Amino acid sequence: MTSTAPPELMNQTTIVGAVLTVFGIAALVACFQIDLDRDGGWGARIFPLAAAGALVVLGLVELAKGLREGRAIPLPAFDGWAVTGLLILALGYAWAIGLVGYLVSTAIAAPLALLLFGIRDWRGLLAAAVLCPVIYHLIFFVGLGVFPPYGRWFDLLDVIQGY
Amino acid sequence: MDIFLALGSVLTDPALMAWVLAAAVVGMIAGAIPGLTASAAIAMLLPLTFYMEPISALAFLYVIGKSGRYGGSISAILFNTPGTAASAATQIDGYPLARRGMASKAMKVATISSVIGDFTGDILLIVGVGAIAAVALSLGPPELFAIYFAAFVVIGSVIGKSITRGLASAALGVLVNTIGLDPISAKDRFTFGLFDLTNGVSLVPLMIGIFVLGEVFSQIEQRNAPVKIIEDADGPEGKARNRLTWSEYRPCLPHVARSSLIGSFIGVLPGLGSSIAAFVAYGEGKRHAKNPGEWGHGALEGVAAPEAANNAVSGPSMAPLLTLGIPGSTIGAILMGVFLIHGIQIGPTLFITSRELIFSLFACGLIGIAMYGIIGYFGAAWVGRFITRIPVKVLYPIIFLTAFIAAFASRGNLFDVLVMVIAGFGGWLMKKFDFNPAAFVISFVLAGGAEETFRQSLLLSQNGLLIFVTRPVALLFLVVGVAALVFRARTLNRQAKEASLKDA
Repeated sequence: MTSTAPPELMNQTTIVGAVLTVFGIAALVACFQIDLDRDGGWGARIFPLAAAGALVVLGLVELAKGLREGRAIPLPAFDGWAVTGLLILALGYAWAIGLVGYLVSTAIAAPLALLLFGIRDWRGLLAAAVLCPVIYHLIFFVGLGVFPPYGRWFDLLDVIQGY
Repeated sequence: MDIFLALGSVLTDPALMAWVLAAAVVGMIAGAIPGLTASAAIAMLLPLTFYMEPISALAFLYVIGKSGRYGGSISAILFNTPGTAASAATQIDGYPLARRGMASKAMKVATISSVIGDFTGDILLIVGVGAIAAVALSLGPPELFAIYFAAFVVIGSVIGKSITRGLASAALGVLVNTIGLDPISAKDRFTFGLFDLTNGVSLVPLMIGIFVLGEVFSQIEQRNAPVKIIEDADGPEGKARNRLTWSEYRPCLPHVARSSLIGSFIGVLPGLGSSIAAFVAYGEGKRHAKNPGEWGHGALEGVAAPEAANNAVSGPSMAPLLTLGIPGSTIGAILMGVFLIHGIQIGPTLFITSRELIFSLFACGLIGIAMYGIIGYFGAAWVGRFITRIPVKVLYPIIFLTAFIAAFASRGNLFDVLVMVIAGFGGWLMKKFDFNPAAFVISFVLAGGAEETFRQSLLLSQNGLLIFVTRPVALLFLVVGVAALVFRARTLNRQAKEASLKDA
């Protein structure tokens, strides 16, 4: 007697196919929000529609492939904590630059990034908090003359250089 | 003749020579660091070049690309981890050689072969690019659109493990490119009322996100993986074993010549790139070898063939970029951005408007090859040891911080930093799920030109799509695109069947 395992429908290919299809449909809907040309032509819509339509078709092909395979292809393994931590740090850093300027946000982000990568030596973290903002500031904002991003709430550059 | 004048001009310009030398060193180190590709290094350094002379900026990035391709072989041989995808084929024979205490010999073979391959590719580019440009001048919008179409299909379907996910990556690239004001009718597309989106998504932060921050996301998962270097045997015996003689290298020459031509041919085709060239050359080399049994166990020819091919791609991959404005690789896509930033319009007229600049760039490429060849021949082992001393736990946080300031510096806009973060996470997700980030970026770059030529063609034909099939050259390229897709699908099906037969 042999028992056949039920087909595994929710495998990686099906999930990717479903996500692509849903994303493609959303993009298709958004394409129809694009205004028509003055003569009523679809000029500005054609390329986005083609790309969104391709995504729907490719999503459906992937979905069908997953259903046909009917076997478990696991989702790729990933280090959830580390990746989520880094994503939060990246978003937070981008947000903080706008609020408190480059120097303060980098002084906070540099040791946090090192911590995430496993550096635990407090002297190293402290050195990074001081050196990273200074070195990047000197290279990009002083050396290359890039206009620095000033913070909306507070900016250390204002304090150092005066208003 | 132009190239000799350009060589003279570059050789007598100390500042330009310094940039080429810096690029040869930076590219080699970046290529040799596992995980960090030449594309990532170029994307990160791109904002610095905004403040340089156009020729210095272009030469700096172009030579980093060349040297980075070669640098990948250092980590493939010494660490059993290819620094770039293109050097994965080198690893097959390079690492067994290193384990037998012949790492230096393997690296000398890799260096000489890379240099010969790279010179061959560049010379073919210099000789042939003018002719391609002349042909390109006669192409109209329908033909150009058909070339774009073929490029989309080839880029999406040929690279990577999955055709559907590769093509979806290309479609996503096109979709993201259409964000912002339509360049012809000035209608809003996918801006959702956000002012920052009206100018569209900028190429530089997108690439920094995909290639640099995306790699930081990958590396944080591998932060505890140790990197071990295989050292050469010490003493006179070790030195003797690592001395490369003419009789040892001579059997490699036919492989190097064949692989250089394979690499040059693959390089001209948009999107295929170095890794495909390296594996095709390795396969062809093994097929023609007198000692196929030794391949895979430490054959010097097995190092020479892929190395010559992956570097031979570098020059010819510039041909579609310079003549048609179609980047054949991610490095080409970045260079396209540099041309545009410096106000240089690429395409067939480039050889009329900026001939001196283009030949100076070629001359810098030739000098760059010689420089990385000399540094690599005598110093590759030192570069390998230097890299093991860079702690990954410190290197990637620094790269993380650099990505932010590089994305901001490109336009002085904080919105670009947010784009970079989203692209970085998206790029990491794409790699995790076997999508193709390179196809995404190249399609993003191609989409503007493709849309423009498509709409111009429709205007020419009064909205009739038949214009694409009634013009022979356009039809030929449409057929090439479809044929590439069918061929790739059949190859993947055959591989899947063989794998299932093995499992059974």
